[in-house]
This record gives sequence, C-alpha cells and structure tokens, in this order.
Amino acid sequence: MPPVTDPHYRRDPQDDVTACALDDIMLLYHHRSGQTHMVISPVPEILDRMEPGAILSVQQMHDRLARDFDLGSPQEALIEIAAHLDALVALGLVRPA
Amino acid sequence: MRHAVTLRIGPATFRIGSAWPQPIAQLSRLYSAYPDMAGHIADFTVRLQPTNMARRWLRPSIFITGDHGLADAAPMSLAHGLLAAEMGMNLQMALGWRRHLLLHASSVEKDGRVLVMTGESGSGKSTLSALLGERGWRFMGDEFALLDLITGHILPFPRLVSLKNSAIAVVEQAVGEPRMGPLLIGTAKGDIRHMVPRADAVARMDEDAPPRLLLFPRFGHAPAIRPVGQAEIFMRLTQASTNYVALGQPGFTALTRFVRGIPAHAIDFPDGDTAIAMVEELWGNAP
Repeated sequence: MPPVTDPHYRRDPQDDVTACALDDIMLLYHHRSGQTHMVISPVPEILDRMEPGAILSVQQMHDRLARDFDLGSPQEALIEIAAHLDALVALGLVRPA
Repeated sequence: MRHAVTLRIGPATFRIGSAWPQPIAQLSRLYSAYPDMAGHIADFTVRLQPTNMARRWLRPSIFITGDHGLADAAPMSLAHGLLAAEMGMNLQMALGWRRHLLLHASSVEKDGRVLVMTGESGSGKSTLSALLGERGWRFMGDEFALLDLITGHILPFPRLVSLKNSAIAVVEQAVGEPRMGPLLIGTAKGDIRHMVPRADAVARMDEDAPPRLLLFPRFGHAPAIRPVGQAEIFMRLTQASTNYVALGQPGFTALTRFVRGIPAHAIDFPDGDTAIAMVEELWGNAP
C-alpha cells in the first residue's frame, strides 16, 4: 500500500461516465449515482489519462499530462493536480487507492 | 369522491374528484372539447377535499391531494377551486410523469416544427404561447413541454392556459368571453383567469413534432436578443425539468441531444406585439 503522504488514485470500472461536450463545458453523466456533473479543463484531460482500475500518483498524473501540455512550474502543477483529484474523489468519480 | 370528471390532455389522463360540485362543473365546461374519458383508467388522480369535515360547508377550504401530494400545501378557498384542480394536475405531472422528459416550458408549432419557450413564472411564456396560438401557430401547451426520449420530438400538453394579472386583459380581447374561465381574484399569484385553447390545438393534441427553436422570454424590458450558450441552456433546462434526475441516462441523452440540436436565444420584450414580431423574425432565421 502506498505511504499516506503520497496519495494514489484510481477510477473504478463501475464509475463509468457518459460524456458530452457543450461549448467549453464537459457534461459527465455518472451512471452509478445518476448525477450529472459539469466540468471544465483540466478535469476531462485528467480523467482521460486514468484507465479504469489502474492506480496512479499525483506525480504520475503530472507526467502523463506533461507529455501533451505545458504545465509550467512542476511544484505548482502538482499542487493543482492533487486538488483536482481530491475534488474528483469528493464527487465520487475517482477513488483513493 | 362525490363529484368527479376524467380528462385526457395529450398523453396523460386525470381523474379529478371533488367534495364540492363547483370545480368539477367549471372543469367540465372548460374542457368540453376534450375527449370524454368517463370510465377509463386514469394515469393520475387529483382530489380536492375539505381540510376537515366542518370546512366542507363553513368557509370551504380545499386541500389538494392525489397520487402525489405535498404535505405542506396551503389550503385554498373554494372560490379558487378551478385553480386548485389545475394545480393538482400540474403536481401529478411534475412529481409522477416518467414517459417523457418534462420541461417547464410553453410550446407552439408551425410548419411541422416546434418553438419551445421556457422561463420562470412571470416571464411571459404562457401569454406569448396563447397569443401565438391565435395568430397562425398551433398552441401545444403553456406549462409543460414533453420531450420524447426516443424521437426527440415535443408532444403537446394543451391544458387550459393560466393567465395572470395584466396578461388577462390582453388575451381576453384576443379570444373573446366564451373561451375564458371565471376570474379568480386574489390568489397566491394575483388574479388568474384560464383560457380554453383553440379547437385545432385540442383536436391535434396527439400530434408531436420536432423542435426547431428555443427561446428564453423575459417580459417587462426593452427589446433585446442575445444568444445563449449550450452549457447555459443545459443548466437552465435541468432546473426547468421536474423529472430529469428521475429519468437517469435516457433523460441525459434526450436533453443533450435537444440542447445540441436547436438554436436558442434570450429575448426581452415590453409587450406582446413586440414579442411576436421578435419571435417571427427569429423563427424565420432559424435553420
């Protein structure tokens, strides 16, 4: 199990969502809860980089995003990515691993 | 219940029972052109009953209930019995209908396609649909637009049009006395008078049609038109739907398809004639 200071995250296969883009907003219909979430970038990009079931850390998510986007200062980007992942946990779309 | 009538409006059948004869007599007169459903099984039951036994006779006070009810609904005066029946039907639809996505919106049809207008109470959507219904459009409903989950079409739900305050005189003039219900003075929403839709709206209440244009009208402002983004439309329509959450994914699929498929504008207008001119122009320019 990963240490407490280095949180890891995963998407449960049962947390599948149906996505629909409207202008700059991405709608996510969460089948398990029946809730519709309205999210904006970078949330869809983060979710796209989480294969169902796979466990990854904030650093690993940062590295995946950095392949496609200029994230600027890694220190600030890591803080922001961690905040987004925690927000997704609160919504029930991502789980702590 | 002692007095009752069974009405079909679009796809929904209601049995309305009352402890008093007056509301049923008024409903029977105003809905006389609608299909006679006596003896049929209704989708919903509405009951207008006294708040307690004494209140049947002494300052009669109506409690609205039925298949679905609100425990804390305020009792209403018997003088407002027709409004109580209409509110009871609204309540059943809002809380119980699952066959279509319900949008709190008015709708009218022309050339086989539908104009949907949504907004809060007082926005002018009812009055506008009533006036358009007298000027070459087919009135489909002033309260709920029913969005078919499979076809994406709008189904009519042409109940009596509920006109409030200053809208009463405007529409009264246009349609004439025989199509108007009793004036209900001093309701919770001010003065209310119901209007019977034109005969063609009732005769064609089983004919659905695809949507073409969505408007967010707002009465009482200088004329203005602004486009509304799809994300804003989606959010406003989920707020304007009483059964979006209950329908689950079919509701999500139907609503996103609706939002992506038609242009939408917010329109401000100071009076009915201005609004109708704006609507006709937007309709003419819609794809």
